[in-house]
Amino acid sequence: MAGSSMKSIKLRIKSVESTMQITRAMQLVATSKLRRSKERMEMSKPYAEISREAIHAAILACGDQSVPYVSARPVQKRCYIVIAGERGLAGGYNANVFKAVAADAGETPYMVLPIGRKAIDKYQRLGVELLDTDHSHVEGLSVSACFKLVRQLTEGYLNGSFDELVLVYTNFVSMMSQEVQVERLLPVEIPEDAAPESRNVQTLYDPTPEETLMRAMPDYLAGRLYSAACDAFASEVAARRNAMDSATKNAGEMIDGLRLKYNRARQGAITQEITEIVAGAEN
Amino acid sequence: MAVFTLEIVTPDRLIYEGKAERLIVRGVTGDLCILAHHIDYATALIPGEASVTTAEGERYAACSGGMLSVHDNHVRLMATTFEWEDEIDLERAQRAREAAEQKLGSMTTADKDYALVEAKLKRALARIRTKS
Repeated sequence: MAGSSMKSIKLRIKSVESTMQITRAMQLVATSKLRRSKERMEMSKPYAEISREAIHAAILACGDQSVPYVSARPVQKRCYIVIAGERGLAGGYNANVFKAVAADAGETPYMVLPIGRKAIDKYQRLGVELLDTDHSHVEGLSVSACFKLVRQLTEGYLNGSFDELVLVYTNFVSMMSQEVQVERLLPVEIPEDAAPESRNVQTLYDPTPEETLMRAMPDYLAGRLYSAACDAFASEVAARRNAMDSATKNAGEMIDGLRLKYNRARQGAITQEITEIVAGAEN
Repeated sequence: MAVFTLEIVTPDRLIYEGKAERLIVRGVTGDLCILAHHIDYATALIPGEASVTTAEGERYAACSGGMLSVHDNHVRLMATTFEWEDEIDLERAQRAREAAEQKLGSMTTADKDYALVEAKLKRALARIRTKS
């Protein structure tokens, strides 16, 4: 009996060890990817920030809200841009994004522009109307792809296919913490904290603030989308690194426990054998 | 010469940040030149040549549209793409130009993608003009 339990423990140690090898390899891959993706994320920030300021200034200069990108209308349908991962095994990374979408959507009907394989799979399964399913690869999402997507989105918004555009992605706060962000892109909200003095009426818009806004809006959205995708990818890699790190640690602890059990079983078997031999010699 | 602060950004990186004496870009209403202490100003840009003059001299670039904002002697150029003269791939631009011209030949202005292909052609032409 002791022999068979020793064998099964040994088998379990082996299987946990090979799992640990996989999780450790994934952790290393994620760590090496992390640096590059963080750099890309940092490089995408200046454009997103500067263009946001410029767009807000232009909206304030318009005065009224006649520009379609600014004027809100009753929401009959929303469009979500959902940026999730390409693979699983990243803790709650994908699930958190989907949860946030479901919570935000409530009862309002919606369509989705999924980015990342997991998002495409998820919303295909749910049978939600999808705008496009070509972007399964978040890491490889290029600037020009963002411009193409935004062209589709602004067209849909302007011709009334949907009344609100919402971006859901995971914001990279730090290595240890990534937060899901739900951001309304269209109609653009006028920042309430803009003080009256920052409403710079002195700025000369050529030809008009309205036209400048109509032309610059797609660029701003594309920059925002690109920057969000960079953020999301860095978050995904960080989440995977953390998940794999704790999995590797767990596996190590399991192996330690199993080794202890194995040694006890071995010791038990030896003691039993000696007892049997001694008992045999006495007879 | 008097200088102003210039920032040039594209969605994927910061191209330039520093002092400049003169900036020339193509706005929707025509080419424009920004010098130090320009009035507060903003406009949308279309594809064209751009030039930046700093203390080191003048550099040319191809800019394919975006937005320009001037505020308090601080100039921000948000470009869709912005390539310095020496970064331009002339062969690629020429190929893009030929492809776009061919496509445009078989299209009418009523076509849905007409504006798109036309914009491609304009970007290619801006690159070729900057390089030559």
